[in-house]
Amino acid sequence: MTDLRQGASGAVLAASLAARPEVGGEGYWQIAWRRFKKHRVAIVGASVILLFMATAVFAPFLTRYEFDQIDLYRRKAVPSFSHPLGTDELGHDVFTRLLYAGRISLTVGFTAALTAAVLGTLVGGISGFYGRWLDNVLMRVTDVMFSIPALPVLIVLARYMGGSVLGIVLVLSVFAWMGTARLVRGDMLRLRTQDFADAARALGASDARILFRHLVPNALAPVLVAGTLTVGGAILSEAGLSFLGIGIQPPTPSWGNMLQNAQDFIWTTPWLAVWPGAMIFLTVLSFNFLGDGLRDALDPRLKV
Amino acid sequence: MTSYLTRRLLQMVPLVIGISIIIFLLLAAAPGDPVDLLLFGNPHITADDVVRLKHLYGLDQPLHIRYVKWVWAALHGDLGYSRTYKVPVLSLLWERVGNSLWLQVPAFLIALAVAVPVGITSALRQYSALDYGATFFTFFGLSIPAFWFGIMMIYIFAVAHPWTALPALAWLKFPAGGFNSPGVAAGLPTYVDRVHYVVLPALVLSLLFMASYTRYTRSSMLEVIRQDYIRTARAKGISELTVINRHALRNALIPLVTIVALSIPGLFSGAPLTETVFGWPGIGRLLVDAVLAGDFAVAQGIILFLAGLVIAFNLLADVSYALLDPRIRYD
Repeated sequence: MTDLRQGASGAVLAASLAARPEVGGEGYWQIAWRRFKKHRVAIVGASVILLFMATAVFAPFLTRYEFDQIDLYRRKAVPSFSHPLGTDELGHDVFTRLLYAGRISLTVGFTAALTAAVLGTLVGGISGFYGRWLDNVLMRVTDVMFSIPALPVLIVLARYMGGSVLGIVLVLSVFAWMGTARLVRGDMLRLRTQDFADAARALGASDARILFRHLVPNALAPVLVAGTLTVGGAILSEAGLSFLGIGIQPPTPSWGNMLQNAQDFIWTTPWLAVWPGAMIFLTVLSFNFLGDGLRDALDPRLKV
Repeated sequence: MTSYLTRRLLQMVPLVIGISIIIFLLLAAAPGDPVDLLLFGNPHITADDVVRLKHLYGLDQPLHIRYVKWVWAALHGDLGYSRTYKVPVLSLLWERVGNSLWLQVPAFLIALAVAVPVGITSALRQYSALDYGATFFTFFGLSIPAFWFGIMMIYIFAVAHPWTALPALAWLKFPAGGFNSPGVAAGLPTYVDRVHYVVLPALVLSLLFMASYTRYTRSSMLEVIRQDYIRTARAKGISELTVINRHALRNALIPLVTIVALSIPGLFSGAPLTETVFGWPGIGRLLVDAVLAGDFAVAQGIILFLAGLVIAFNLLADVSYALLDPRIRYD
């Protein structure tokens, strides 16, 4: 029995040694990339996101209208050669506004997610690294933020701070960092007792150096996954607030505020309501697919 | 269990204090207190009146005193007075919560009735066409903007409905929004009439619930059927149906109970976006209207009420988890 087990583990060891040169210098990120490429919907999601980013950046080259150019003689025009998606109630070209709205929505999504990720990593990192009372205080703050009904508070906050892109980004990121903080804290508790952390400390590294050079890079996978999903969530929230009239204010176009008036004209010009919502839906769906693919590639056990 | 409960209740104290401070500051720090707003609407008010009114309403006192007074009043059921509706916030709240439940309860039940069987089948047949279909569907549900979905449903079922040309399907259309038809007699006829108005918004809401419930049921079931005790049950030779029903399902549904308990406060909060799209006079719509009108006492009351529910149902979720899962020993 003992022989058999030894034999088996010996064979496994031999096999893994034999397999080693093939895997060669493939690092964590290379393995992740190889797994990611197999996730077809994630690739589709990433492509759609890149496409929308490109159309947002190159908007001025893709249309001959300005986003705030009104043409009162051609209001609510049906789609035609000169206005491929028609015009809205003020005679704005809908296609043009969709492109420029993409700038706002994607900027809000990315910056809010980035701010939330940085904030969450800081809080979670410090909390898990120092432990004790600091951990206790920071985690109770996290609990409090989790228990506050986010959407109603967002609606109130957006009323004071909304209107500007910066205000919306701030409001959204304040309510999006808690998940990341909890994930990073968990990883810190595990990582800080490991040998490489002790080794760095023995070499005289400062707390900040150990935390940010040695520990945090090892906890980036969940931050990346949670961050990707947050981009989608932030775009959805911004669209909702703008739809209610307390987010991005016209004439600056956002996919949400383009839908604000579209409902009133559903009996006469239903197509006005279709495109902005379809753009939000496709973008958020793409980010969710991308996040799912990243999770499977980086760490399938992650519960983000 | 009693000691666990006591400890959990004690842990809630700092949480409740923290949340109430944040909610208070959120609205106390709002630019323009009620007197400033009054001034805005009435040019005849003198500077003396302003001082007198601010003193009368205690607005000239430091923040911490105002906080204590606010908490004291809230504990006595006084959530303030609505400037725009001219009624106490609490009575407004009760009326609107009832309206919201008209939408939320059917949406919640439809979602559960679909999500649990779909999630379980999806997990039992992992990687089957049904599983892929269900997973795709949850992604759609989690990514679709509720208000846009609502507008599309209104277009399809209230504006276009091309199928009503067929006599057999002539009934398949719904109102574009609202709460009741005009001129319906009070009492039972009102409720029967309202069902017609509930269908579309309830469907929109249920899709959102459904997506996350399906996801949780599936992942929880997947976790359970990989356990050793399931293999043991199968090895004993019991029928697959018994294994699933008696051994797997009962364990897999425990996490779902938590999720459901945690989502109940959401039922009361209404859905600001869906209610706005469908013109439903629920609590979500009330919040949006109050915020747009600068009636912050109402907003503050709603948020406080919801935060209270969230805390209470958090506790309930934890306790039910401990009761349902004998593996968990808290004391």
